[in-house]
Amino acid sequence: MIRTYLVPLLALAGLVFAVVKVVQAAKPPIPAPPVVEPARAPYDAFVAGSGLIEPSTRNIALSTPVGGVVTSVLVLPGRDVRRGEVLFTLETRELEAELAIKQAALSVAQRQLDALRAQPRPEEIPPAEARLVAAQAALADQEAQLSMWENVQDKRAISSDELSRKRFAVDAARARVAESESQLKLLRSGAWSVDVSVLEGQVQSAQAALDSVKVEIERRIVRAPLDVQVLQVNTRVGEFAQPGPLATPLMILGSVHPLHVRVDIDEYDAWRLTAGSPATAFLRGNNSIKTDLSFVRFEPYVIPKRSLTGESTERVDTRVLQAIYAFEKGDLPVFVGQQMDVYIKSAPLQSAPPAPTSPTTDAGAAK
Amino acid sequence: MMSVALKMLFGDRAKYFGIVMGVTLASMVITQQGAIFIGIMTRTYGTVTDTGQGDIWVMDPKVQQIEDIKPMQDTELFRVRGIQGVGWALPLYKGLIRARLDNGQFQNCNILGLDDATLTGGPPGMAQGSLSDLRRADAIIVDEISANTRLAKPSPEPGGRPIPLKVGDTLELNDHRAVVVGIGRSTRTFQSLPVIHTTYGRATTFVPKERKLLSFVLVKAAPGVDVESLRRRIELTTGLAALTNQQFKDKTVDYFIKNTGIPINFGIAVGLGFLIGTVITGFMFYNFTLDNLRYFGTLKAMGASDGVLLSMVILQSLVVGAIGCGLGIGIASFFGARMANTPLAFTMPWQLLAIAAIAVAIICVLSAMLSIRKVISLEPAVVFKQ
Repeated sequence: MIRTYLVPLLALAGLVFAVVKVVQAAKPPIPAPPVVEPARAPYDAFVAGSGLIEPSTRNIALSTPVGGVVTSVLVLPGRDVRRGEVLFTLETRELEAELAIKQAALSVAQRQLDALRAQPRPEEIPPAEARLVAAQAALADQEAQLSMWENVQDKRAISSDELSRKRFAVDAARARVAESESQLKLLRSGAWSVDVSVLEGQVQSAQAALDSVKVEIERRIVRAPLDVQVLQVNTRVGEFAQPGPLATPLMILGSVHPLHVRVDIDEYDAWRLTAGSPATAFLRGNNSIKTDLSFVRFEPYVIPKRSLTGESTERVDTRVLQAIYAFEKGDLPVFVGQQMDVYIKSAPLQSAPPAPTSPTTDAGAAK
Repeated sequence: MMSVALKMLFGDRAKYFGIVMGVTLASMVITQQGAIFIGIMTRTYGTVTDTGQGDIWVMDPKVQQIEDIKPMQDTELFRVRGIQGVGWALPLYKGLIRARLDNGQFQNCNILGLDDATLTGGPPGMAQGSLSDLRRADAIIVDEISANTRLAKPSPEPGGRPIPLKVGDTLELNDHRAVVVGIGRSTRTFQSLPVIHTTYGRATTFVPKERKLLSFVLVKAAPGVDVESLRRRIELTTGLAALTNQQFKDKTVDYFIKNTGIPINFGIAVGLGFLIGTVITGFMFYNFTLDNLRYFGTLKAMGASDGVLLSMVILQSLVVGAIGCGLGIGIASFFGARMANTPLAFTMPWQLLAIAAIAVAIICVLSAMLSIRKVISLEPAVVFKQ
């Protein structure tokens, strides 16, 4: 009996086994769900692009006017600084020494001027006055002698030669009085104004030399050019800061109120955009973080798309229009340099087979 | 009368086993070879099966099948994204990369780069680690089968078993360091190369420099949008090829059927199975009927009609057919179950069982027809001749 039914039973078991296997295999592998749901555009018709967050001033690659060793860095990345606030300073020891020299030179010139202005020296007056009195006395003596000789009645008693000599002596004494008087006057009038102005010029020149050193020192104190946020600090105390454009700027600054998003639009899609169209940006990695953007401008120059292949020989054959949009950061956890997926509202494509909204009304809304 | 027929059948044990064996052999060969063929064909689009998160694949119009990569420019992603009705569109990198193993050998691998932000397109199952671990530096996910075989580390003692790759191990991919953060369960592909999942950005830095990198764009239709019309709209707007998951699978299978000898190979095997089964079963059954002809004659002499005899023969052939078929597909599916964790491709859909059953039915009908002719033309007097 068992032997009769063994084979049919085996066959039945085989059939059941096969059916079970078929049912098991009929379930295809369920594709793994995305770790983060991809962002979906909030508009019916839109142009998509990848956006890069940047400051509204764009990145300011801070440069120093002169090169030098950094002696202090006063800001950390992330700090908001006011215009004119010191960011870092450079070494100025040589200039400090020169400053002292220039200061000394100024004070020398100033004192020379003061000395000139202090003339006449009061002690020099009395001897000059005395010399005048002596000259006057000498004149009076000569005049008295002459008058005595002239009053002689008998002219034969005196030699005419002697008389004329007395007269010349009186003239000489008078001249000496005049000399003494003028010397006293010269002394009393003090320094010559032309001499004073020469020295004044020297003082000005010394002052200017001093100011120039001060400016040189001031140039080594690097300050914020605008009200900005410090985004990156690439210089440290002790390093040499070079002037001019650098591959790695000393500091990157930028105004983050508001932030801008630079959206790359493929040139094939660029015609679909209207200036002022609303746009929405989604943060990569969490599509619930999104923000509405307000239109700022188009960059009127279409540029080659920057590819990240890093190949030096790569050719570029895609060009992108860049649209600039702005948003306020607020509480959004976004940072400058981050990428966002941006959707810009546009009129529906005419070639698209089913068009749920009429193009005219939509274009009107976009304006 | 029917129990008589069955007694007749089971009574002649040797013939009975012979007939069953013939049917079993035929149905087993048909099922097993068919399953292997379907398995291989299913594998050709393994990546499409695993990456079914979207509805539509967008690719270069000249792409012939999933392994045929013709990269596009990165900006095509945004063009596709800007098409009306697109819910989301994400990039997918697919390419080949050379992994250097610890023993100095090189192994070609399939590398899949998933969208960095969403990690869409990961392996359907994870044996170790999780898909989100791909966010870590230099992270890759390796498929389980290759982690145990082709990418395994050599055994410390000569001749020993290789040590499977596990989470935390590093691989050298095209001179880049890659850290295994997960072991995934991927569907095997046609070439059975190891499958490495990583992010799009990382994949493009791992692989040799190319100007165009975007292999595919995965598109999910927005809710309420007809996938077929969206597909056509994408093709019209961008000039790229857009295929639904099923269309892409069909295109890939078509390519393999038209361009490889696989269908001919398996077709011959299945045909031979059918032929041999038919011949063995037919002759055995005919032989069995001849041996039992005197019983049929007796029954006929006792007044049994031709219809009764006919249904007796049909019942006998159906019974051996059912038993043989059950045994055959049972053995085939047992074989398939035993081979489940080997590189062998084996896929058995219900259609294959139906085909096997139909083939067996044809074999039975052909065999029975020979016998029926004999029984119908039988003269009852033949019983008394001997």
